[in-house]
Amino acid sequence: MCDVQTKLIAWLDRELSPDEAADVDRHIRGCQECRGRLETYKKVSETFVVYCDAVVAGKTRHRVSRWVPVLASAVVAAVVMFLVFPQRRIEPPPVLAPMLAATSVPVPVPRAAEAAPRKTIRRRHAVPPVQKRAMKWQPTETAVQIAIPAEAMFPPGAMPKGMNFIAELSIAPDGSVQQVRLRQ
Amino acid sequence: MSDDSVPLALPLLRLASGSSEVTTLYRELRKPLLRYLVCLGLSSDEAQDVVQDAFLSLQRHLASDATQENIRGWLFRVAHNQARNRQTSYHRRFSEPLDGEMDFLADDATPEQRVLEKEKFRRLAAAIRLLTESERECLLLRAGGLRYREIGEVLGMAVSTVGDTVERAIKKLAEKCNV
Repeated sequence: MCDVQTKLIAWLDRELSPDEAADVDRHIRGCQECRGRLETYKKVSETFVVYCDAVVAGKTRHRVSRWVPVLASAVVAAVVMFLVFPQRRIEPPPVLAPMLAATSVPVPVPRAAEAAPRKTIRRRHAVPPVQKRAMKWQPTETAVQIAIPAEAMFPPGAMPKGMNFIAELSIAPDGSVQQVRLRQ
Repeated sequence: MSDDSVPLALPLLRLASGSSEVTTLYRELRKPLLRYLVCLGLSSDEAQDVVQDAFLSLQRHLASDATQENIRGWLFRVAHNQARNRQTSYHRRFSEPLDGEMDFLADDATPEQRVLEKEKFRRLAAAIRLLTESERECLLLRAGGLRYREIGEVLGMAVSTVGDTVERAIKKLAEKCNV
């Protein structure tokens, strides 16, 4: 074993005094084994530095790539919410039309709903039949029809001779008169 | 073995007042500092924080007319101590080996080259795990360009001990790696 073997790495790192460095210089010129060892130590040192750089680069790249799917998911979620959420908001209440048909009473549109321009526009499309239905009376099963002869409505002798008619009244469930019709 | 270190060729007297010199120093030492801290076990974010704190401390240090010798060793020592103060990371480095992503080969490398390089680094990673803490720290500081005297100042070791530790560590890696 050569005496300078313990100084080879320090020589490589230029940590030896000038006298010691000169001794090692002289030795390695004539010692193939020590030259081989020096080459190995040099390669190991270089590989260690490259490896450390790779560790740093790997950790940094890993940190960035970890955020990519999170950001992508957030963007997709935002787009889906933007596309889906307004459509759900403009859907008309499902009980509105049947309730109006049953009662035949026009329901005023709430002012709060009119305040939002988009809602007002959408509702105008959904509700238009409501106004027409309220104006046109449709007989229902709960309505009552009464036929009253003229003799029963006027005192005796008040009716002119030769005239006779029957008054037909249609009464809604709330007691109001829906229709009056006279027939001979 | 001599303990005379190569002085850092920087205009240190003007460093406190000249931001361009600080920038130069930052550019020169930021990467070695980051490499040292990450390889100690800190995360990339933690390492960035420590480096920034170290340079802020440097500015305060220089502004207070404190000693302006061996700024490189001083920065590494501050960074090393801050890394130790981060208890979580400090403990993690004992359990987490110094190996990580192996996807660092050149894009134009052939499949055979990739296999050989990966095998070489796999052996090196296994060998690094066999090093003691002081051996690993000495090698990391050496890879950052520090002289033995500076490494001794950072780790609180004698220069001769640093030399012995570096030699022992390199020989261990050479024996296990066959690079």
